Amino acid sequence: MTIARVRGTVVAATRSDKVEGARWLLVEECDAQGNGTDAFLVALDMVGADRGQVVLLTQGSSCRWTRRTDDRPLDTLVVAIVDTIDREGETAYAQGKEA
Amino acid sequence: MVLARVKGTVVSTHKPDSLQGLRLLLLEKIDAVTLKGKGDYVVGIDSVGANADEIVFYVTGSSARMTEATKGKPSDATIIAIVDLIEADGSLTYRKSEAAEASP
Repeated sequence: MTIARVRGTVVAATRSDKVEGARWLLVEECDAQGNGTDAFLVALDMVGADRGQVVLLTQGSSCRWTRRTDDRPLDTLVVAIVDTIDREGETAYAQGKEA
Repeated sequence: MVLARVKGTVVSTHKPDSLQGLRLLLLEKIDAVTLKGKGDYVVGIDSVGANADEIVFYVTGSSARMTEATKGKPSDATIIAIVDLIEADGSLTYRKSEAAEASP
């Protein structure tokens, strides 16, 4: 999984994925501290993530391994909201405790 | 899924039977905030009826075979959505209707 930050939302009415009630998030990949790397993707929200939150992305064919996304043409999902990231004993990221 | 703008079409007569009848669109990846093209192009199979200058998002890899249009076909990039709105950091960066009015 990749670490990313929710930067916004994308609305698209004309689609071929047939996912009902889909919510599309604009996400930016980021490092372990939550700093953006300027690489943006559109991801299907599976967890109710909000703007500003650091999340985990699943990409590729693994995106089809949920009940809701089985056999759907999707390659990027938000599968988790990150609370904390610990790196070598130090807190690299903690939700709500950013400078 | 990756955001891109439809820049044109690609025509090929010499291709496998399984690709006959599918639209090949020339896509340029864009920056989601500035909407500027990155000079990075891919060819995607259209499954939604996208037109020139529209912003779309597409899927890659095996997921590109999962639309009705591309089931069992050798596509590795398929357009699955025409974008109406993009919101970044609380402000609208793209609204399709406005973009259509602005262009001649």
